[in-house]
Amino acid sequence: MLRIKALRASVDGKEILKGIDLEVRAGEVHAVMGPNGSGKSTLAHVLAGRDGYQVTGGGVDLMGQDLLDLETEERAHQGLFLAMQYPVELPGVNNLTFLRESLNAVRRARGEAEMDAVGFMKLVRQKANDVKLDQKLLKRSVNAGFSGGEKKRNEILQMAVLEPRLAILDETDSGLDIDALRTVADGVNMMRSPDRAMIVVTHYQRLLDYIEPDHLHVLADGRIVRSGGKELAVELEERGYGWLLEEHAA
Amino acid sequence: MTRQLQAVSDFQKATQHYIAGLPLDQGAWLTDHRWSAAMRFSDLGFPDKREEAWRYTSIEGLLEQGFITSDSDSEVVGAEFEQHFLHGPTAGRVVFVDGTFQPALSDTHIPGVRVSNLRTAMETSDLEILKSVGTLSGPGTHGFSALNMATMRDGALIRVGGGSRLDAPIDLISISTSSASGRTMRPRHLIVLERGAEAMLVERYLSLHEGAYFNNLVCEVLLEEGASLIHQRVQQESESAYHLADLHIELQADASYRGVNLAMGGAWSRTMISNCFAAPGASCELHGLYLAGEGQLVDFHLDVDHAVPGCDSRENFRGILHGNGRAVFDGRILVQEQAQKSSAHLSNANLMLSRRAEVDTKPQLEILADDVLCSHGTTVGQIDPQALFYLRSRGLSEERARRLLCLGFASEILEEFRSAGLREHLAGLIQKKIGSEP
Repeated sequence: MLRIKALRASVDGKEILKGIDLEVRAGEVHAVMGPNGSGKSTLAHVLAGRDGYQVTGGGVDLMGQDLLDLETEERAHQGLFLAMQYPVELPGVNNLTFLRESLNAVRRARGEAEMDAVGFMKLVRQKANDVKLDQKLLKRSVNAGFSGGEKKRNEILQMAVLEPRLAILDETDSGLDIDALRTVADGVNMMRSPDRAMIVVTHYQRLLDYIEPDHLHVLADGRIVRSGGKELAVELEERGYGWLLEEHAA
Repeated sequence: MTRQLQAVSDFQKATQHYIAGLPLDQGAWLTDHRWSAAMRFSDLGFPDKREEAWRYTSIEGLLEQGFITSDSDSEVVGAEFEQHFLHGPTAGRVVFVDGTFQPALSDTHIPGVRVSNLRTAMETSDLEILKSVGTLSGPGTHGFSALNMATMRDGALIRVGGGSRLDAPIDLISISTSSASGRTMRPRHLIVLERGAEAMLVERYLSLHEGAYFNNLVCEVLLEEGASLIHQRVQQESESAYHLADLHIELQADASYRGVNLAMGGAWSRTMISNCFAAPGASCELHGLYLAGEGQLVDFHLDVDHAVPGCDSRENFRGILHGNGRAVFDGRILVQEQAQKSSAHLSNANLMLSRRAEVDTKPQLEILADDVLCSHGTTVGQIDPQALFYLRSRGLSEERARRLLCLGFASEILEEFRSAGLREHLAGLIQKKIGSEP
């Protein structure tokens, strides 16, 4: 589904990603881990098309499409979803209006009919229930005044409503908030499906207590220094990943 | 003499000439008022940039247009106007076309409310009605308002009787047709709420054409003890028009005024709001949203005078500027020495959608009392790139995302428009306006 080849990217002329190779197949959940500054968030943002990152080499293919060629919104139309580490507050923008516009934009791009108000409300109520988001938050401004946990739930709600093919969850350094972490993990487990792939980016092994990834990658200094399966997760849980970095530096 | 000075001088001469030609046989009240205002106009002349209040707002363009021809009765056909009337429940409707009251289009039978028009009152020398006209504005605080009184011709006179409570708004609508092109209109409205009355008023100015004209209006609002008014004002003149609104508010004890202003039309528009607390316990809220795009100037001047103790005022204005649009916001609050236990809060936020747009914002708090609660804040900012990315990452086009963020910025003010139908209509107009320009 997703094939990243020798991807290089820099911010303000400083190279952050120094050649990433990664292949993610439908149905798989991948965890990308690594210390602060290793490039995890950059990878997530480059994939989502955020401004301010210069891709200097390599390529990314999403289901046969050159991802880097697409605008941010076109990537969303192709089925890419980025759950933000710090979801932005949008005062004055109603959460339901936002969700509906978003869903209809994606549906239009997929050649599907827009959803009518009644069908939409039914869907959102159901999904909000699934992700345990207080229905009252649907009527408020997007994320404005939400707690950390509520913001995460709102992200997972968007993911549940948009049903992306590839979801990237950026949890780089929010691991300390257990409530938020569980919300993300529950969302990932709920959304796991044979035709959907997910990449969870995290700094803390703790997330792996709740999610069992199919593949795990350790990122250091802009490169993947080790990839493995469940056994690597077990090893990381026992030893941390400091030893991997030392091995890599040596 | 420069071309501009020539224009000012020509305009002034022609105006004096016009005033001199007005009939003097319409009764003592009218003659007195016209002449004291005419004298006032010749003393004041037109404001110029040396005056602080007019520093950022040039009137040269307006005078050069030479809107000397006055308004006259236009031919009026109903259907094209009706679509602009307020949808949903209304208590009544007062319609002006090109400055002239239209009884056939209006619905003035409102229980507990007396609705009349200035022209009829002047023609019949109805002093009972006329006696309150001009009591708040005086003969004029600047040349234009003096001119309004010197040449006044028509306007709405609405008096809500003591204790009356209207549960739906009165629709006061002024429509300009192509016959108004090149002319000056000078409506003069007076709204009085007697003791304990409660009402909602929607006051709108809109245009059916893109021509240039000058709307020089004065509106006086007097709330007697315990009265409460929700005043929703909309300026959507033609984008070639000049619009000058002078709004005077006086609040008696425990009266409550809640006003919201939307200004989005006109090549040049200026709204001056002065509020006077005449007795303790009153509250005044002024909200406003202004939009200026290519070739537009929009200007708001607020003057809130806490002359007595124990009153609350709150001003919250927001602006969205695009193209080479210009805005001026001048919010002045004076808390006099004796006005203890006052509370006054002023806030102005501006969203700049273009590098060529410009805003001059000037909050002024003059606090002479010591036991008061006052604050003010001003911001000028752009669309947050993070917010834009967030929306786009959810599939919204950049244009749609921008519009949604602009509407979000405006929503706090738009919510002050209480009728859902009007609010949605205005939100649609705003989106269209923002979407139509780079």
